[in-house]
Amino acid sequence: MEPVHLFSLASQHAHWASVRQSVITGNIANANTPGYVAREVTPFSAVMSDTALTMASTAPGHMQPSGSAAGAQSWDVQSTGAAVALDQELVKAGEVNRAYSLDTSIMRSFHRMLMASVRSA
Amino acid sequence: MIDPLQSAGRIAATGLQAQSTRLRVVSENLANAQSTGATPGADPYQRKTITFQGEFDRLMGTTGVSVGEIGRDPTPFEVRHDPGNPAADADGFVKVPNVNMMIEMADMREATRSYEANLQMVKQVRSMTNMMIDLLRTRG
Repeated sequence: MEPVHLFSLASQHAHWASVRQSVITGNIANANTPGYVAREVTPFSAVMSDTALTMASTAPGHMQPSGSAAGAQSWDVQSTGAAVALDQELVKAGEVNRAYSLDTSIMRSFHRMLMASVRSA
Repeated sequence: MIDPLQSAGRIAATGLQAQSTRLRVVSENLANAQSTGATPGADPYQRKTITFQGEFDRLMGTTGVSVGEIGRDPTPFEVRHDPGNPAADADGFVKVPNVNMMIEMADMREATRSYEANLQMVKQVRSMTNMMIDLLRTRG
């Protein structure tokens, strides 16, 4: 696999993680709102295999509480059908934090590799 | 399109605001748990209730939280016998506030816990943003 492809994968994953972060934050803020149903984004693996992903369809403003099959190629926000469990949301937030940290570290190291190859040439 | 991390920061801020308003209402109830009326037969302090509502922001496509309304608890007042009290009626009974200390304390703990969770989100969003900005720093 070429380094450039991995770089874009890491940056896509970072974007997905930031969308997930905004959904988790919305859940925590609405933990005491009556009738609010917890939301979750589609897993990254479901999005990754779709090579026709365009920037327009991955817009974070693309929120549909019911979740649509047609828009399944983007990381749509879907309802889980349950009220908010605060502990679970915080655990998910921890996962997001680790994933984002990993992605930015990968991006930095690939950038460093590219710069090293450019300088040594 | 609004950056998702930025919108997350704003949502967490609405959560902080809602929970601190809730804590304020709880404090009012606790402080006035013994406040009887001033004139004979007058109603004492009536417990306040708070409800939240989701606030869908069309621009960002996110749902924050806001205070729905601060209402009054319609639970009827209990009475205690205290003839010397200014609010005592003809039989010497005084109406006392419908504030239950146990319920208020439990509410206070839940509000604090939710507040801390929202604050944790603010910190995490800030740290994630810093991670991304750090990429711009060249360290050789």
